Amino acid sequence: MIRDIGYLKIMRTGPGTSVQDLGRVGFAQYGVPVSGGLDMRSLSWVNHLLKNKASDAVLEICQPGMKIQFDSPTLIYLAGTKAEIKLNEQLISSYGILEIQENDLLEIGAFLQGSVLYLGIKNGFQSEKIMNSRSWFTGITTSDFAKKGDQIPYFTNQEVPSYTASKAKWNFNRFAEGIIAVYPGPEWELLDHKSRILIESLEFTISNLTNRMAIQLTELLPNSIPEMATAPVFPGTVQLTSGGKLIILMKDAQVTGGYPRILHVSEEALSILAQKNPQQKIRFRLI
Amino acid sequence: MKPIFKQISPLISEFVWNSAISDELLQYQLSFKEQLQKEFGREIIELRMGFKTLSVNLAKPSVLPEIENWLNSSKPEESLLCLSEKIWQIPVCYSRDTGRDLELLAKHKSISQEELISKHSRSPYRLHFYGFLPGFMYLNGLPKELHTPRKSIPDRAVPVGSVAIGGSQTGIYPSSSPGGWHLIGQTPISLFDPNLAIPVFASAGERIEFIPVTIQEFEQLKRHPQKPNFR
Repeated sequence: MIRDIGYLKIMRTGPGTSVQDLGRVGFAQYGVPVSGGLDMRSLSWVNHLLKNKASDAVLEICQPGMKIQFDSPTLIYLAGTKAEIKLNEQLISSYGILEIQENDLLEIGAFLQGSVLYLGIKNGFQSEKIMNSRSWFTGITTSDFAKKGDQIPYFTNQEVPSYTASKAKWNFNRFAEGIIAVYPGPEWELLDHKSRILIESLEFTISNLTNRMAIQLTELLPNSIPEMATAPVFPGTVQLTSGGKLIILMKDAQVTGGYPRILHVSEEALSILAQKNPQQKIRFRLI
Repeated sequence: MKPIFKQISPLISEFVWNSAISDELLQYQLSFKEQLQKEFGREIIELRMGFKTLSVNLAKPSVLPEIENWLNSSKPEESLLCLSEKIWQIPVCYSRDTGRDLELLAKHKSISQEELISKHSRSPYRLHFYGFLPGFMYLNGLPKELHTPRKSIPDRAVPVGSVAIGGSQTGIYPSSSPGGWHLIGQTPISLFDPNLAIPVFASAGERIEFIPVTIQEFEQLKRHPQKPNFR
């Protein structure tokens, strides 16, 4: 089958828009981060509903205030945050498959709940694949974050979606979830009794220092663990810095680190964390 | 030298050796890694190394008890591999123009710049693993006299190829990035190419030797890029 290439044109975007998929597995041995969607659950949902492959690439949008134009027909699906969406200047319900016609304009306004929106497209975005992944990362792919004027390729699709009576349900309750399930990290045992109690009982605040690499928490903890020999870290590793800061590593984090790794966030909880905004509160629950 | 086994999450576990960082420990780690891959290669998604650790990312958690059993019955001494004899020669231009902290660091150490350069380039360093940035080598073997605490305020941009000292370590920045190490020189060699199947040239266990070159040689190598040589 010959497929025609279409382009999504970025007319306006805030910082933090990128193409993401399941990420780069197997390249950490060369120092390459995993990358991939921050909220893997929403990313998978988008591909699932479009009947895409699980490995297809989507657009990850981390800031409201975005305007894009499609130059040829396709189907798209939005998930993740609850956002104000306009198609050709008409406010629409953001949850359902959208049929896109040539030159359609899509605007993403305020985020009402959550912090990361996923825009999936029929058959996935077709930007360059490097080391088995299309996920954008500085020094690996040509682009790291989308800028005004960028054009992202996709396959044109003329297929008419088959409608069913029921709309797929998406549970927004996860945005309210404040309990983060964690495993004790490799250096958990080195913490004194008091620090462990504090970690299990305190409420922590998501700080403004939040990006694709890490989420820093506001509250400080006493830290008496000495710095350690550099060791592997993963998305989900919670580091305790020498200054007592807690840093939760996300998908673009380095593959090794020298700070004690006191907790490890479960995979499901990492998707929940990814949707948190600065000032929101969380609690850790050890499993 | 048998490691301790720690499970971190259902799919991530770690082997830890409680001994000092050394060639011997690296030899044990690499031999252990080889054996693990041989035994459980199909169940393993990814292995990551640290100075005293080896972490395993599994495809499914059900293989964990088997790995623990295997560890209990393994005899690490019997399958010990030798470290590679390969030494990669990395040209470095040590100068004020290519390493902005060279002068200050020499002054701080009360030695001449020439002495600092000769101490830094005298013996080869052992490559233990990659981390921090794509293609960044964790090297062991910085002479004690050159150990220097990291900068309290990191530089916003360290030029690509910068050779630097931080704490008890030395390394080369494979790409431009923020960084808190003291910059003493720069290599014209490219350390990471994402378009290659294996994006780096050196493997864990091999050695890296810094060869001082003049600014003219540096400029020429920049204009006509070459792959690094080894001996």
